[in-house]
Amino acid sequence: MIDSVILTQVFNGVILGLIYGLMAIGLTMIWSITDLPDFSQGGIYIITAYVAYWAITLFNVPYLLTIPIGALTGILLSVVFERIVYNRLRPSGVLSCLLAAIALFFLLENVANALWTPKAKIMSVPETEVSINLFGIVTSYHRIIILIVSVLLFIIIHLFIKYTKIGMAMRAVAEDREIAELMGVDTRRVYIATWALGGALTSVAAILVSPLYAVWPGMGTLPLLKALVVVILGGFGSIIGALIGGLILGLIETIGAIYVSAAYQHGFAFILLLLTLSLRPKGLFGRR
Amino acid sequence: MLKVMGLTKSFGKLVAVNNLSFTVSEGERVAIIGPNGAGKTTTFNLITGHLKPDRGVVEFYGRNITGLKPYKICRAGIGRTFQIVRAFPDFTVFEHVLVGAISRYGPRAQMDLLKNQAENVIQKLGLSAKKNTLVRNLTIVDKKRVELATALALKPKLLLLDELMAGLNPTEIDEYIELLKRLNEEDGITLIVVEHVMRAVMKLCNRIIVMHYGTKLAEGTPMEIATNRDVIEAYLGEGVTYA
Amino acid sequence: MVSRNKSNINSFRMRLFYPRAIRFLPIVVIMVILITLPLYASSYIVFVAAIALLYAIVAAGYDVLLGYTGQLSFCQGAFYGIGAYTSAILTVNYGWSFWQAMPVAVLFVGLISAIIGYPALRLRGAYFAVTTFFLAHFVYLIFLNEVSLTGGPLGFRGIRPPEPIGPLSFEGIANGYLLILFSFIIIFILLRMLVNSNIGLILKSIAQDDVLAESIGINVAAYKLLSFVISAIVAGYAGTLFAHFFGILHPTTFSWFLSEMVVIMTLVGGAGTLIGPILGAGIVTFILEFLRFAPEIRYIAWAIALIAILMFEPKGLMGLLKRMGVR
Repeated sequence: MIDSVILTQVFNGVILGLIYGLMAIGLTMIWSITDLPDFSQGGIYIITAYVAYWAITLFNVPYLLTIPIGALTGILLSVVFERIVYNRLRPSGVLSCLLAAIALFFLLENVANALWTPKAKIMSVPETEVSINLFGIVTSYHRIIILIVSVLLFIIIHLFIKYTKIGMAMRAVAEDREIAELMGVDTRRVYIATWALGGALTSVAAILVSPLYAVWPGMGTLPLLKALVVVILGGFGSIIGALIGGLILGLIETIGAIYVSAAYQHGFAFILLLLTLSLRPKGLFGRR
Repeated sequence: MLKVMGLTKSFGKLVAVNNLSFTVSEGERVAIIGPNGAGKTTTFNLITGHLKPDRGVVEFYGRNITGLKPYKICRAGIGRTFQIVRAFPDFTVFEHVLVGAISRYGPRAQMDLLKNQAENVIQKLGLSAKKNTLVRNLTIVDKKRVELATALALKPKLLLLDELMAGLNPTEIDEYIELLKRLNEEDGITLIVVEHVMRAVMKLCNRIIVMHYGTKLAEGTPMEIATNRDVIEAYLGEGVTYA
Repeated sequence: MVSRNKSNINSFRMRLFYPRAIRFLPIVVIMVILITLPLYASSYIVFVAAIALLYAIVAAGYDVLLGYTGQLSFCQGAFYGIGAYTSAILTVNYGWSFWQAMPVAVLFVGLISAIIGYPALRLRGAYFAVTTFFLAHFVYLIFLNEVSLTGGPLGFRGIRPPEPIGPLSFEGIANGYLLILFSFIIIFILLRMLVNSNIGLILKSIAQDDVLAESIGINVAAYKLLSFVISAIVAGYAGTLFAHFFGILHPTTFSWFLSEMVVIMTLVGGAGTLIGPILGAGIVTFILEFLRFAPEIRYIAWAIALIAILMFEPKGLMGLLKRMGVR
């Protein structure tokens, strides 16, 4: 019988990995369809977490309900950024857009700082408190929620991309934008859909994670960077890759934190990045 | 001086260049012609190091240069121009050619030497009047001249020209033919030219290599090629310019 | 060849300077003001000016990488910090003199930047930028976590000003400021010589089209590495000055915020001109100081300023970014 502690940690690693995967899917879609590694998602991550926090503490909104609320916020912010900023900068090249994305991240992080002070806030959610024992894994309702929500979202997105018209249009643009345009794909709608999806995923990831760690203005940097590593590890433009890459990183981080070093837990992502870029720049499932 | 042996390059399932072999001797003016997609530009890219071949060897003056980085191959004495003209938009014509000279002689070379080199080439190509114009403000024809001038500032022994004549009117074509002949005969630069403009090829080159689907279809003097049945068949249906 | 005729606006030197005669006057005036600043300005102003000059040094070095070689990077904050902490550790923990520690710190920064730059610069555009972002954050985490080495969140205290050279003392704000000013002048002159030299022309060609540059025989990888290391060394040196001027080091100073601010300074000022980023550094520092009562607002304002510059600034800036926009 495997040790319960190890099982629990593996489970935690999977949960963490699922969250990385969620964010990474959003990022990889945005990156492969619009050519932009969207740093502003890091800012959106922060803001939606705070919005959820507000909803819970000020309006007593039940936790599960904050997820769609946050998703809506994320969608709104993403689409607004796309329409107002990225759209105008696209002719000037990718690096202009990247700078703008980073500036927006910078902006949102400081807005959060200004509105909510740098002090970390604890998002206390009843579901985290109840501890249950499932096949030897010691966990809480909250983590089960993360599991279920993530898996559900993966399935929905997979079906969406595969079977809907917009989903197919998105895949076409990701493959080759010029040809897609020539074939009559409305890239404007595809872009909006992409950003909406990305924003939604980031927000859901943020809200799922917030009860586990604190909510503070700087909370966006590390998840963003790790999600980017997962995107590169999993392969540019690959949703499956984002999922698997996320799980890999989540497991390495969790197990590594126990057996190697807790302080440099975040360093694993960096090492993974360096390994991927030097050994297999295409990533696990990448096409480009 | 240039030996290409068994050169092969595939992109996925598409075989762009298939077991290509040919040689070019010093002083020649060789043309590589063929329908679009025959693999001509890819061959250039394989020679200049912009692409690595899957198989095959490129030798230059007996030295194996296969797959070396482009800047090393340029330093070895092979220059090129690109099919879609490439130039530094924010330089003046003079700066543009000067960079070529700097690359050739090194950044620490005498400024006078570098400037003279640049001036000479600019004059040779008739760009003196536009010396201080920003390249981004030039016509495409002039941009091509700047591109060629820069390549010449590097004092190449072999020059690969990719569709230099595209979009030129007959007078300009004749001027270029004269210029290229002079470069070849007076300055001793060997030329390999990829062209669709048949008239230029016939007048300029003393040997023609015909490519088709990545392989060498035929090789010979302009007369031989013009009467070669395989070549004529390959071109049927292609819009070849008999300018 | 160099025309002294002010109306010959096509002369290629003119594109880099203003007409020669007029150019010298404002610079002389500014130099006089800066040099005599401690005589009539309050310590506070001198202090802020010193910080502004430090950022100006970093921004000028960064401009070589961004404006002249066209590489967008986010780790100058990291190199600034490595320079600062290395010098601090060597002097405080090991008793070295500043004049021994500083060159070692700068060399160390150079070494690290070369080791990192060699593989990293093989990446194109966005991938390179993202990797440098990572690096900056990773270095920040080291500053934060290696408490035994850097003091972590509690800060690293007790850094002394540089030891006197002969009659020259560097104690106190005024003298520290003058050392920084002097460094700035020298570095500016050196960088200016670099970018106007043939090497500068090569770098500019790489910024515009690095594939073409390689085709005409330029060892692009080597020159990219060169400009990366140069900008790192300049930042590292500024870092050592900062450590011994400010006296205390705290990891949060060296977060990716700092790198972002340097980018903002460079772009707002106008990349590729060397003077632009210096002015940008000055403006940003002073406005940041004078908005101290509204701490977060200043950063928000700068983020918006950057976005506005990117979106609305005339072709000049956009043109540069277009050049860098290589996929």
